[in-house]
Amino acid sequence: MSGRTEASGTSRGGALAQRAKGLEFQEYALAIVVVLLFVAGSILKPETFPTWDNVRNMLTQASVVGVLAIGMTFVIATAGIDLSVGSMVAAAGVFGGILIGDDGTSSLVFILGAILFATFLGSVNATSIAYGRVVPFIATLAMFSVGRGLALLLNDKLPVSLLDLNGGSFGDPQPFSLLWFGTGRIFGIPVSVFVLLAVTILGWIVLNRTRYGRYVIAVGGNREAARIAGVPVRRIIFSVYVLSGFLAGISTVLLCARLGSASPVSGNLYELDAIGAVVIGGTSLAGGRATIVGTFLGVLTFALIFSLMTQLNLSTEIQQVTKGLIVLGAVLLQRPEARY
Amino acid sequence: MTTVLEVRNLVKEFPGVRALDGVDLDVLEAEVHCLLGPNGAGKSTLIKCVSGAIEPTSGEILFQGEPLPPGDPAGSLKRGVATIYQELDLVPDLSVAESIFLAHEPRRGPLLDLDRMDRESAALLARLGHDSIPTRAKVGKLRPAAQQIVSIARALSGDVRLLIMDEPSAILDDGEIDTLFDVVRRLTAEGVGVVYISHRLDEIRRIGDRVTVLADGRTAATGLPATTPTDQLVEHMVGRKVEQLYPDRPAGTDRVLLEVRGAKRLPFVRGVSLEVKAGEVVGLGGLVGSGRTELLRLIYGLDELEEGEVVFEGKRLRSGHPRNAIARGLGLAPEDRKSQALVLDWSQTKNVTVSDLRRFSRILLDVGKERETARAQLRALKTVPDDPDRAVRLLSGGNQQKVVLARWLLHECRVLLLDEPTRGVDIATKAEIYRIVAELAGTGLGVLVVSSELEELAHICTRVLVMREGEIVAELAGEDATELALLRHAVAPIEKPDLVEEVV
Repeated sequence: MSGRTEASGTSRGGALAQRAKGLEFQEYALAIVVVLLFVAGSILKPETFPTWDNVRNMLTQASVVGVLAIGMTFVIATAGIDLSVGSMVAAAGVFGGILIGDDGTSSLVFILGAILFATFLGSVNATSIAYGRVVPFIATLAMFSVGRGLALLLNDKLPVSLLDLNGGSFGDPQPFSLLWFGTGRIFGIPVSVFVLLAVTILGWIVLNRTRYGRYVIAVGGNREAARIAGVPVRRIIFSVYVLSGFLAGISTVLLCARLGSASPVSGNLYELDAIGAVVIGGTSLAGGRATIVGTFLGVLTFALIFSLMTQLNLSTEIQQVTKGLIVLGAVLLQRPEARY
Repeated sequence: MTTVLEVRNLVKEFPGVRALDGVDLDVLEAEVHCLLGPNGAGKSTLIKCVSGAIEPTSGEILFQGEPLPPGDPAGSLKRGVATIYQELDLVPDLSVAESIFLAHEPRRGPLLDLDRMDRESAALLARLGHDSIPTRAKVGKLRPAAQQIVSIARALSGDVRLLIMDEPSAILDDGEIDTLFDVVRRLTAEGVGVVYISHRLDEIRRIGDRVTVLADGRTAATGLPATTPTDQLVEHMVGRKVEQLYPDRPAGTDRVLLEVRGAKRLPFVRGVSLEVKAGEVVGLGGLVGSGRTELLRLIYGLDELEEGEVVFEGKRLRSGHPRNAIARGLGLAPEDRKSQALVLDWSQTKNVTVSDLRRFSRILLDVGKERETARAQLRALKTVPDDPDRAVRLLSGGNQQKVVLARWLLHECRVLLLDEPTRGVDIATKAEIYRIVAELAGTGLGVLVVSSELEELAHICTRVLVMREGEIVAELAGEDATELALLRHAVAPIEKPDLVEEVV
């Protein structure tokens, strides 16, 4: 499934064999880790861990960072980085929050407002990186600060309550109202999980089965060669940061819908969670090698670990340390040339 | 004569491949021992085993009668084995002295002993006959030949008894090669044994004493005198006779495809006009640094023109827009395949189709059709191995070049720009590339080819333009384009280029 070795055969059996060859070692390993973590959790906390409620919870929480991580995969595939996604989530949430009025249509206003604002912030990153030739690390570090500042400025450092955005219903929120995205379910599965799955599957198709995805990998794999081969290098670089902003907008909707409010201090350090998931998934920080399946498994790995640690009453500080060590360990396991 | 290096029945296995399958080699003191062989014959593996970069599977390597510790580069270096690899491994921003003493800087207490570094660097350069290279100049400001000498000086900063040089001349022009050979002769006069790898038979004749030919990981012939006739050497290399190295010269037509008018971008291109007609192979000769590569970049749109224009099939190309050039039917096979032409981790297929993905994509890519189309192009060029899924990183230089050519054939481009198309390519594959180029011209393509191998230009081109200092100084057609004539036009009135003239 990675851009590096995946290819498709002509016959059906051939295609499957190729697919299997394409699933790289790291993806297999990570899939096994996910299963082992689930088994470990089930043994350590047999009453609470392997329950439908817990799985639902884990996935709901994972969906916010998961959507960011898919966007981050595209950015990192071009050998870039986006440090601003957490700040964009906060700014987009507050921006959407101050737009809403009292009527029942405000869900749509919030959703569109948040997504558009995050996409706009992503475009600012994109412009300075692709056309201003600012190093991605610096450009998005600046946006990290600007976004957080905007989130605080827009509503005087106050959170905005979104609890009224339930579509005017008194019981469960109406379908397609904001809160429905946070608490609604289809066939017992949270709506936000469907959103994450949809973004992941679309992300996989775009990265592996479209011209655009091929160009993204080419730019990360060898920028000069891509340019000489006729790949629109600048446009591709521009687009991945816009995409990252757009997905930060979707992530904002999922987060605010779950919390019922838009807080200027939300989304803190989400960029690190997203980057961490991408990296343990096997996408190379040097660019040119990216795997959406790996990223998705990386997101699941983190979700399982933290759910388990929380249930074992380990403090968030310990979780923080663990997270860092996992990312470091995963990178050390990668091929040396893929590390930076 | 004492033997410096003895290699006995050396075997190196990589997973699935036997890169060396029983190689024998003797290198004497004070001789230049040339190592010849097609790409993939095991030359690089052999020298890496000697330098300690990799550990052989079995066999013996004796250095001055003592076995070398296997897989220990520091150990080999300490005993006096120095290696200079193909690509210059210098840091452009370091000074000459800093480069020479990189990683073994002389120190006075905790501080660098800069005076001593300068003094000893100057002494080393003087030993090589190049004390004119300033020890404080940044390496990046020197000409390639001067950089090479700095590399050699660095290798000599220890007590060297055996110097291994892997295609040192690949990046040098003819004048600079003379300089390099002077240095090599000085070293052998001091008793140093030299292992010299090159694809260029003419060089071997000029500098070599004895020749060893490797083929398929075995010693095909060893200890041949350097005067062995070319035919025999080539026969050892490919295991059969190469019937014809150069195909017939394409005649060309009258239809102009590409026209360059007064192209200028200082300091490298100072007003160049030329035409490429359908069916022609036009050569662009000259020394390294004469502006040939830069001219190709201007034509292709990689750099913007300061003055002048490029007209393709009657219409002007947008300066600075390679995508425009490609869409109109231009293709470029750049000088450095690895860094400029290929995504090395990608399969052959993806590297072939990258300029024509539109063909296979509606909304989604039809990867099956893509693969089959690429396979057809690769087969037409006899690319080895016949596996469209193989990563191009694992291909030999010649086959990598074929992948690049397959890309532009798929694109059905009408003018092909080739920059050093046979650099680092073995002689059998060279012959194939010449044949492909001639066939393409036969189908009505125009080809503009830059090469530092004058012999090649003299044989494959309809006509050859010679560049010197950013201008075209001569045009030689057909039989008039001899190596000697090309060289005479290429070199500036001052016979030997000053190696440090670019130092600011």
